[in-house]
Amino acid sequence: MRKFLLTGLLLGILICGDVFAQSDYPTLSQVTQRLQKLGSNASVELKSLTKTDGGKDIYVLKVGTGVKDEKPAIAVVGGVEGFHVLSVELALQFAEKLVSENASVLEKSTFYIFPNMSPDAYEQYHAALKYERRGNAVAMDHDRDGKSGESGYFDLNGDGMITWMRVEDQMGDWMVSKDDERVLVKADRSKGEAGKYRVFKESKDDDKDGEFAEDLQEGIAFNRSLTYKFPVFEPLAGDIAVSQKESRALLDYLFEQWNIFAFVTFSPANNLSTPLKYNAGDAKKRVVTSILEKDQAINSMVSGIYNETVSQKAFQQTNQGTDGDFFQWAYFHFARLSFSTPGYWTPEFKGQTNAEANYLAWADSLGWDSFVPWTEVKHPDFPNQKVEVGGIKPFVMVNPPFEKVAEIADEHTSFILKLAEMQPKLEFHNLKTESLGNGLTRVTVDLFNNSPLPTHSEMGARSRWLRKVRIDMDASADKLVSGDKIKLVDSMDAFEKTTLSWIVRGSGNVTIKAGAAHTGFATQTVKL
Amino acid sequence: MQTLKTTKLIVALALSALCLGSFNANAQQENFFRAIGSPHKPKVEIAWNRYHSAEGLWDWMKKIAAAHPNLAKIESIGKSYEGRDIMTLTITDFSTGKDTDKPAMWIDGNIHSNEIQGGEFSLYVAWYLTEMHADTKFIQELLRDKTFYITPTINPDARNNFFKEPNTANSPRSGMIVLDNDGDGQAGEDMMNDLDGDGNITMMIRKSPTGRFIKDPLDPRKLMAVGPDQVGDYEMLGQEGMDNDGDGEVNEDGIGYYDPNRDWGWNWQPDYIQRGAMRYPFTLPENRAVMEFVMKHPNIAGAQSFHNSGGMILRGPGAEEDLNTYNREDIRIYDAIGKKGEEMIPGYRYLTVYKDLYSVFGGELDWFYGNRGIFTYTNELMVSYLYFNKEAGRGNQDEQLKVDHLLTFGDAFVPFKEYNHPQFGTVEIGGFKKNFGRAHPGFLLEQDAHRNSAFTIYHAYHTPKLSVMDVKEEDLGGGLKAITATIFNERMMPTHASQDLKYKIERPDYVTIAGAKVVAGFVVEDEDMKKFTEQKSSPEKMAVENIPGMGAVKVKWIVSSASNYSITVDSAKGGKASWKK
Repeated sequence: MRKFLLTGLLLGILICGDVFAQSDYPTLSQVTQRLQKLGSNASVELKSLTKTDGGKDIYVLKVGTGVKDEKPAIAVVGGVEGFHVLSVELALQFAEKLVSENASVLEKSTFYIFPNMSPDAYEQYHAALKYERRGNAVAMDHDRDGKSGESGYFDLNGDGMITWMRVEDQMGDWMVSKDDERVLVKADRSKGEAGKYRVFKESKDDDKDGEFAEDLQEGIAFNRSLTYKFPVFEPLAGDIAVSQKESRALLDYLFEQWNIFAFVTFSPANNLSTPLKYNAGDAKKRVVTSILEKDQAINSMVSGIYNETVSQKAFQQTNQGTDGDFFQWAYFHFARLSFSTPGYWTPEFKGQTNAEANYLAWADSLGWDSFVPWTEVKHPDFPNQKVEVGGIKPFVMVNPPFEKVAEIADEHTSFILKLAEMQPKLEFHNLKTESLGNGLTRVTVDLFNNSPLPTHSEMGARSRWLRKVRIDMDASADKLVSGDKIKLVDSMDAFEKTTLSWIVRGSGNVTIKAGAAHTGFATQTVKL
Repeated sequence: MQTLKTTKLIVALALSALCLGSFNANAQQENFFRAIGSPHKPKVEIAWNRYHSAEGLWDWMKKIAAAHPNLAKIESIGKSYEGRDIMTLTITDFSTGKDTDKPAMWIDGNIHSNEIQGGEFSLYVAWYLTEMHADTKFIQELLRDKTFYITPTINPDARNNFFKEPNTANSPRSGMIVLDNDGDGQAGEDMMNDLDGDGNITMMIRKSPTGRFIKDPLDPRKLMAVGPDQVGDYEMLGQEGMDNDGDGEVNEDGIGYYDPNRDWGWNWQPDYIQRGAMRYPFTLPENRAVMEFVMKHPNIAGAQSFHNSGGMILRGPGAEEDLNTYNREDIRIYDAIGKKGEEMIPGYRYLTVYKDLYSVFGGELDWFYGNRGIFTYTNELMVSYLYFNKEAGRGNQDEQLKVDHLLTFGDAFVPFKEYNHPQFGTVEIGGFKKNFGRAHPGFLLEQDAHRNSAFTIYHAYHTPKLSVMDVKEEDLGGGLKAITATIFNERMMPTHASQDLKYKIERPDYVTIAGAKVVAGFVVEDEDMKKFTEQKSSPEKMAVENIPGMGAVKVKWIVSSASNYSITVDSAKGGKASWKK
C-alpha cells in the first residue's frame, strides 16, 4: 500500500510537475498531506501543538538551519478566521516556496508557520452545508440564555449554503439598492426612504424567542478571543480570553520562542496597504490602545514595501483590527512587530460604491456564478408573509477563485522575504586594542545594529517577553580591570551604534559576544 | 432534656474510659470548662498558635473530613506547578441536600506564598463550623442552607518554600516558576543567599568611614541615620546575598517575579501594563484550578480571599478603569457587609482597592465579581494595631523593636553578626525574621482567625435564601383559575448581582409550576395596578431575571386545571425552594 502510494506520488510528480495541483482550496486532509511532505525536508520541523475540541491538529512548521533559536524569526499565521480559507493556502504556499525556492534565507533567519488556527471552522468550507464559520467545535451559549447553540442557521432552500432571507414587511428597514436590484441596502430615513424588508441570516427561530440565528452551533472564534480588547461575554468570544485549547497551545508555544521579531498574519485586518494611525492620547494611557509613535514609523516603512511588492490595491478596507483579534494581540500584548493583510480585495469596479454591488458587477464581468437569486420559500415563523432566500454566496467576497491564488502567494512570499532581509543585525566594528603597559590592554569596539529596524520596537522595549541585548566579555573576573563582564542594553535603534570599552589584564584571546535571540548574535575575538 | 443529655454523656464517658483505658485523658477533660464561642472538646484538636506547611494544612483538613463525614468532604481540585494538590474542603450539612443545590461561599488563602496565615484562617473556618455544629443552632441552620468551599492554600509549592527555604517576610510572593527577571536570557541565575545559614534572608551592613548610619547606642539592633552635618560609621548594603553571576547585581534573579494575583481573567492586562502578569489569564495552574472549580459551581454567591497584611477588608474594583463595573446597588451590599466587618475585627478598615491601596488589573476579587457576579472581599490580615491597640502605622520599626523586646523577648530578631563576604569583605548580617511583621505572632493568631472567620460567616449568611410563599388562587370563571406566588429572598444578596444582570452572566431563576395545566404565565410587575409581563414560550417555567436581596418577585399563572400542584424555584446562586398545595 505504502509502496503503491509512493509510486503514485512519483508518477504524479513526473506527469504534472506538481502533484498537488488543484482547482479549489484544500480540504483539511489535503492540508495535512502537504504539511507532512514539507515536514520531510531537513530544514523543517513539523509539530502538532494540540488537537482542537473538534479533533483537528494545530500544526506549526519551524523552518530553519543550524542554531535556529538564535536567529531572528518571522511567524506567519493563517486561518485565524475559519471562513478566510485563502489565508491557509497563503501560509502553506509561503512555506512551500520558502523551502523549495528560497532556502538560502535560512542561513540568517528562522520561520514559524502556523497554517491554520481555526481548523474546526475551516472545515465548513467543504462541508455539505457551507457557511462562513468562525467558531470552533466547543458548545457555546452565545446569547447567554442558559442553553447552548439552540438557534443556529437553517438551510431553508436546501441549496447546501447559508445565505440570507428577506421577509416582506413594511416595518422592515431594508430596501432594494438602486445600483443593483439583487442587493439590499438600509433605507435612509433621513431622506424619507421607506423600508420594504426585514433581513436575517437564513434560519428558523428554533427556540421561539423572536430572534434569528442568535445562538449559532459553533463555539469560540480564535480571532475574537485573545486578550487585547477581549470582548468579554459577547457571542463567539466567551467568558474568558484565551480559553481554548488552540489559543492556549499557540500562546504557550510562542512564549517559548524568544527569537520571533515579527508576525505576518493573513486575516481580514489590514495594516499593510495602510499603516495603523498613531493617536497620542490613546498611546499615553495606562492601557495602551494606539500603536506607539516610533512603531508607527516602522509600520509606514513596511507598508511602503508591501505596496511596492503586492500589485493589488485595497478597496473599501476599513478593518484595522477588531476586538480580541490575533494581529493586534501580537503587537499590543506580545510586543512584536505585527503585520496583517487579507491578501485579497475585490477591485474597485466601474465606480460602484456599495461593496456588494461592486463585487457583483465585477463577478458578472468575469462570468462568475456567485449569487443565489432571491426565491420564495415557505417559512414556519412567517406563515403570512412572503419570505425569499438569496444573496451573495458564502466565502466568495473574501476568498478569490482558486486560480487567482498563485499570483497572490508569489507576491506575498516576496514581501515576507523582504521583511526578513530587514531583520535586526548586530555587528562589531572599529575594534581597537591599546596597550597601557604592565600587561594591561584597553579594548574598544563599536556594536552596530546594521538594520532599518530597531532591535526592540518602542513596544518591544517595554516587554519582559523580549530579551535585552546582552553583551558578554569572556575574560575571567580577576583579569577584568574595568568594564562590564555582562552588560544589558534595552534597545538599539535602526543603524544605531554603541561604543564598548574594557581594560583587561594579561595576554591571549578574549571573546565578546552580543545579541539576543530575536536580534541574532555577533561575536568578536580580540587578541590582547 | 439538658439533664438527660448530661447523663448520657457521663455514661458514654464512663464506658469509653473502661474499654480504652484512656482514663487520664478523660479525667483531664473533666477539668475543662466551656469558654463561650469556642468548640468544647473538639473532635479535631488544633493548636492555633503555629503555622503549617501545605502538607500540615492538608493533614488537618483530612482529619476534619474524617471526624465529620456528614459535614465535610475533601477533594483535590487540581495540581500546582510542582504537582502538589490544590485541596478543597466542602462544608455543608449533607443530610439536608447536595452542596451544589445551596448558595455557597468560596474561601481561599495564601495566593501570595509569603502571606501565610490565610492558610490557618481558612482552616479555622472549616474547623469552627464543623466543631460547633453540634452545639449551635445558628451553625446548624447555616449548614442546612449554605455550603462553604474552603481552600486554605492555593499556592502550596511556594508556601512550603517560604517556610523551608531561606526567605524574607516578602519572598516568595509568586509560585515556584523560575523566570528571567532581569532579561539577560537566563532564569534564576542569581537567587538570594542565606549567608549565615539561619533560614532567614536579613540585611547586610558594613563598617565604613564614609557611612551615613550609626548603631543606636541604646539599642544595637537599630541603625540610625546621622544628621546632614554628622559623620556616621555604617553603610547599608541591602539584602543578604551575593552576586552569583558576575553582572554586578545582588539577588536580582530569584524565583518568580510574577504575581498570582495579576493572573485572573477580568480586564486582564499584560506585564508591561500590569507588572506581574503572566502570558494570559489563568496561565498559572493553581489559579486555573480555582477558576475551573468556580465555573463548575455556579452556586458560589460569595467569596473571601485571605492575604496579608495591614488590617483591611477590601472590595473591588482593583483597577480605576473598572469603576463602572461596580454599580450602586451592589456597592450598597458590599458596604453593609464590609462595615459590619470593621466592627467585628478591631483595627481593620473597610476599603476599596483601586483608590485606597493601588490600582491593579487581573486580581482575583475582580474576576470573582466582574466575571462571575460573586460578592467578594480580600482581607489583608494582621495589623500592628493588634500589638498594643494603638495606631503606630504599617512597618513601624520602633514599634516592632518594642514588640520584640516586651512581647516576644527577642524571638523575632536575628542580632547582627560578622560575616566574611566574598564581594563586600567583612559585613554584619542581621534583622527581623521572615515570620515577623506580616505574619501574626502566635499569641495573636487565634483571636484574629476567629474574628475574620466570623466575618466570612456573616457574609455567607447573607447569600440569598429563597422561599415560595403567599400562594393565592382566584377563580376567573369558565374553568380558569389564576395562581399567584411570591418568591421571597430573606437575605441581603440578590440572586444576580447587577454586574450579572448587565452581562447575563448566570441563567435566570426559574419558577416552575407542576400539576397544573397552564394557559398563560406572567411576571407580576405591579400587583395592585395589574401590570404583568407575559412569557409566551413555556409559561409553566417562568424565567425571572433576579430576586433582589430582602425583596420578592411575584409570578402569576392562568391555569385551566390544578389540584395538587406544586411550585418550585430554582436559582443558580439562590438555591432551591418549593411549595406544595
